[in-house]
Amino acid sequence: MTITRRGFTAGTAGLAATGLAAASLARPAIADSSPISVGWMGALTGPLAAPSIGFDRGMRWALEQVNKAGGIKGRKIDAVVRDTQGDPTKAVNATQELISRVKVDICWGPPNSGESLATTPIMARAKMPSLHPCVVNALIDPEKYPNAFRLAPSNMQWDEAVRNYCLKILKINEVAIFGDSTGYGTSAVKDSVAGFTKDKAKIVYSGVIDPNQSDVTPDLLRMRDAGAKALVCWSVTTGLNSRIMNTRAAIGWDVPIVGHPALGTGEVGKLVTKPSNWANVYIVGYKSCSFGADGKLPPRSQAFLDRVKGKIELSDSVLWWVTCAVDAIDLIGQAVKQTGSTKADAFIDYFNTVQHYPGLFGDYSFSPQQHNGYPTEEVVMSAANSQREGAYALAPGYV
Amino acid sequence: MDTNVKTAPAAIATKAAAGGGWRGSLQFVIVLALAIVLPFVGNDYWTLIGTRAAIYWVFVSGLNLAVGFGGQLAIGYVALLTLGAYTASVLVAGNLGPAWPALPALGAAGAVGAVAGVIIGLPALRLRTFYFAMTTLGFATIITQIALAWQSVTGGGIGVAGPVLPAPFDNTLGFYFFCLCAAVICTWMTANLARSRFGRSLVAVRDAEVAAESTGISKSGLLMSVFLFSGAVAGIAGGLFATLQSYITPDAFTFDLSVLFFIAILIGGRGSIIGPLLGTVLLTVLPEFAAPLVAWSTFLYAALLLVIVLAIPGGIADLLDFANRRPLQSGRAITPRPGGLGELLNHGSAKQEITLKSVVLAFGGVRAIDGLDLSITPGQVHGLIGPNGSGKTTTLNVISGYYKPESGGVTLGSNDLMAGAPQTRARLGIARTFQTPRSIGEASVLENVMIGGTVDGTATFVESMLSLPRHRRDEAALRKEAMAALRAVGLDALAAVRADRLQHSELRFMEIARALMLHPLFLLLDEPAAGLSPDEIRRLGELIKAISKCGTGVLLVEHHADLIFDICDHVTVLNLGKELAAGTPADIRAHKEVVSAYLGA
Amino acid sequence: MLPSILASGLAIGAVYALIGITYNTMFSASRVMSFTAGQLGMLGGVLGSLFILRLGLPPIVGFVVTLAACAVVGVITEVVAVRPVLSKLDQHLYVLSTLALALMIQQVTAIEWSTEPQPFPRLFGIGNGGPWDEKFWLPLVACAVVVIGLEYLYRRTLVGRAFLAISEDNFAARALGLPERNLRIASYAMAAVIGGIAGFASGELLLAFFANGAMLNFYGFVPVALGGLGNNRGAIIGGLALGLFQQAANFTFGGVFASVAVFIVFIVVLLAAPQGLFGATAARRV
Repeated sequence: MTITRRGFTAGTAGLAATGLAAASLARPAIADSSPISVGWMGALTGPLAAPSIGFDRGMRWALEQVNKAGGIKGRKIDAVVRDTQGDPTKAVNATQELISRVKVDICWGPPNSGESLATTPIMARAKMPSLHPCVVNALIDPEKYPNAFRLAPSNMQWDEAVRNYCLKILKINEVAIFGDSTGYGTSAVKDSVAGFTKDKAKIVYSGVIDPNQSDVTPDLLRMRDAGAKALVCWSVTTGLNSRIMNTRAAIGWDVPIVGHPALGTGEVGKLVTKPSNWANVYIVGYKSCSFGADGKLPPRSQAFLDRVKGKIELSDSVLWWVTCAVDAIDLIGQAVKQTGSTKADAFIDYFNTVQHYPGLFGDYSFSPQQHNGYPTEEVVMSAANSQREGAYALAPGYV
Repeated sequence: MDTNVKTAPAAIATKAAAGGGWRGSLQFVIVLALAIVLPFVGNDYWTLIGTRAAIYWVFVSGLNLAVGFGGQLAIGYVALLTLGAYTASVLVAGNLGPAWPALPALGAAGAVGAVAGVIIGLPALRLRTFYFAMTTLGFATIITQIALAWQSVTGGGIGVAGPVLPAPFDNTLGFYFFCLCAAVICTWMTANLARSRFGRSLVAVRDAEVAAESTGISKSGLLMSVFLFSGAVAGIAGGLFATLQSYITPDAFTFDLSVLFFIAILIGGRGSIIGPLLGTVLLTVLPEFAAPLVAWSTFLYAALLLVIVLAIPGGIADLLDFANRRPLQSGRAITPRPGGLGELLNHGSAKQEITLKSVVLAFGGVRAIDGLDLSITPGQVHGLIGPNGSGKTTTLNVISGYYKPESGGVTLGSNDLMAGAPQTRARLGIARTFQTPRSIGEASVLENVMIGGTVDGTATFVESMLSLPRHRRDEAALRKEAMAALRAVGLDALAAVRADRLQHSELRFMEIARALMLHPLFLLLDEPAAGLSPDEIRRLGELIKAISKCGTGVLLVEHHADLIFDICDHVTVLNLGKELAAGTPADIRAHKEVVSAYLGA
Repeated sequence: MLPSILASGLAIGAVYALIGITYNTMFSASRVMSFTAGQLGMLGGVLGSLFILRLGLPPIVGFVVTLAACAVVGVITEVVAVRPVLSKLDQHLYVLSTLALALMIQQVTAIEWSTEPQPFPRLFGIGNGGPWDEKFWLPLVACAVVVIGLEYLYRRTLVGRAFLAISEDNFAARALGLPERNLRIASYAMAAVIGGIAGFASGELLLAFFANGAMLNFYGFVPVALGGLGNNRGAIIGGLALGLFQQAANFTFGGVFASVAVFIVFIVVLLAAPQGLFGATAARRV
């Protein structure tokens, strides 16, 4: 089964990479049998661990599949895992360790913004190829960081999806934009305000809320009094997100909440006082991980789900974290298969030529000028309360 | 005993107390040698860890003065690292005016850190430990919040790129040696300070604040200098930290980091330089070997902190202090040699008297002193006796300025002595000892005595920090005088011994030696004979007599009637805060009421 | 608008006041301010949720077991972090020993419970989230009950008078033959129960969340600083005032500026009046 699917992906991607076949021929005839080593840093424990645990599950499963099938050209893929706990200091140490001591061939992660902002320049200095699952815009800059490629959506793409949904699908022009007063929240609110302003929407309220605030009634009343017709929420704090929904119900205000995927985690679901409080909340999602109006996932995703049933726990995770990590390992394997090399330049040159690589999470395309590989049209909105197997139902209004 | 045998240990003691001599430096040299070799035997990863340790040490070296020496528990001090990091990064990025070159920006980070250090440290002058700790946490939160909110400058949650130093410091190796240099300079400066009167005063403020005041140490001036210095190095460390991290966001400055720095200081040992230095290195390196425990790291740090506080308060420094583990000679006798007093008390006779005029002081309705008149005459010993609670020690505390009388006053000649300002007494030549000796257990006897001469120092904080000639002259003079004082009280053989290893009686003589450092015109002694053997009391009496012979006026609060009657020129008997009788010892002995009420049959 | 600011301000203020009383109770027995005060508030919520929601105990049983567990934590604080330090030369180190213990409690909760806030059971089901919801008045009721209980204890019972004697003058109390050590342990247990009540009563408001400990540590200390150390009346006024001020600032400035405002007011007031606005006893130094 593994081989079939691998053959399928290899076939299409191989077409894009034919130009590199010559490079692999130039290598010595004796095959290198040392393992391909992938450095993986993530917050595997601590308060920020949820996404990294999802990525970790996907990556481990993918490694097992590849290695069970004999590896890539006889070479196994090894992951060197470092738990950074979301602490940039630990991530910086770990990055240098992976580069200088372990001497990994390629890095994957870290997913948290503070960490990846710090590690990306270090990897660039060492010309270490890196695949990013992190959404922060500033990470991707082919000029400054020619070695960094993103397999995830960027924040800009998230922002655009939220904006499109409010303005074009819900057709609401008066929005209140807010977030939590964490590093992510403050910057996301700023970007979102800029985006909505550019699209000439009417921003009736914008601000950040202390995530420890025990009651958000005053804030919501202010938004209502200002005439908000939709709430754009960039909070990653579970407590705050649930309080927003509960308070919205308590003051009897039926206004859509549109925003960050954290609004749809199972943890938030535990904290809403009534299930109905979680309705009319829409979060950023992806076509590949969304149930359509017919209640079905796209065939590629469904096939994957069938294969990993009972092997990857999805009920407490998010499907795209898992599939994105699987794609990362596949893409690394593909690069080695095509170039026959684990040199940094080989990876980077290969990634720069990838066009419409059909991953599970989406079709990735890179070019020397564009290292944001995820297609914008894949980013959609989903209903926050519809999680099943890590996937969500498409929000109303999409076809 | 032969004199040669007697002076030999004293000479060794002096040398050892001078900071360990070559032995003390050897430990630093070994660490430095290992640090220089590191990048050539390891790889870039170990160089990075080394760089991190060096930067942390630059930060901790300053904090060590405030926490390890001064005992000011500024648990939110990591705020200064944040501030320094942002200052350097923001200036280099040009988010605030034109872009600065990296090195001047590091300097600016130091300047901003120094100012902020004083602001964060300021509450220490008014607030007690826990309150002060909390305000520093408050400052830490404010600085993080500002970093988040001031997006146009700090980049908010997205942060800002760290400064890149110019060549040749722009690569791993160059940057490592740059940070190592900074660390060496900080080590040198703080080691100089530690061995100066400022370092000793800090420890005195920490462990014996009341005694520190009586020797004229100005807590406010001292702490402000220290916070200024530690703020500056913290700011610079912040700038270097930003360079090392390559990119800073508010979440890089976790509370864990603050805890880590405190552990480094405590595990190293308070009042030590080498200890916290090794502690910092240890805590930077240790997590790299303990990767599987990372989930529990904060818990383990906290547990470590608890264990250190409870079990090994002396830290690594204690383990390295081999000299103080040699057993002391038992059955030692204190043999004062009052002959040497002339060297210290060569001021001739004081011209003026200290006079108390109808002093009244009440504690919550109870009159501890009730209209007392008293005078202390130069060259004479004035005894003050009376039952417990009769106001003897309170009278002494009024004279030395700890208590403010409700009415009446204390004058020195024709000048009023300022009430409630004990730190002013030292400069007027009024010295004292305490009922329970106030000593610094972790410091050597010599250092304890040298604290007594703090006001005589002429070198400024900066001069001491850089070990300039005036500082060295100060130190030599203080050490010489302290040895003279120790010889006079008969403790010279114990000069290098930690004070907490002394017997109670020895501590009493040590306090007298400390008081002698002020070349006192007046000496106030609070029950100096308590806990002494009859032999020691006799020698104490001779010593006190000899001190007064040199022209010093002595006020002797005592229970031992024999001692009082033997050596006093004048005696006042107190009862319920009032004078019961006064006169020559012979008068008092004949006083009926005193004899029946107090002296017994 | 005003009712909701009042309701949430007073509710959270009552929690701060109770944590302030927790600080005071520990302090008067030992002259030690313990960083575990806020953690006890956190444990009240977390253990309440654990016993009632996760283990399915009836609410009243869950409440009692929660308080008992908190009392144990209080006793552990005394034995592990306070008593050994009191016998040391540098007693200031209690700041670090209690901080270490508090961090350990917080870390164990984070790892064994959850790093995400967990639901707290509805106790009575009164109100629907508006200003009269039980989550707002439960902390106030708890605060009133604790105050009345303490008044009764201090004025009417022998044990209470012994507590007072200890807090007035430790040495004199020992000289009178009072069992100082046992009274100190009892005070720590009692303080812990008060902290637990604060956490349990505010469970619906603050949720069962490991990070509440650090938050309550700070905001619970502010009423102590404002009201004067050891002054429970001051702590209650200070706590309620802080709660109202905070909610009003959240509403008027919002987000970052509100918390900065609270911190700045705190530091300024503390520097201007180190003894608090309502006075505290000063210690003799010489």
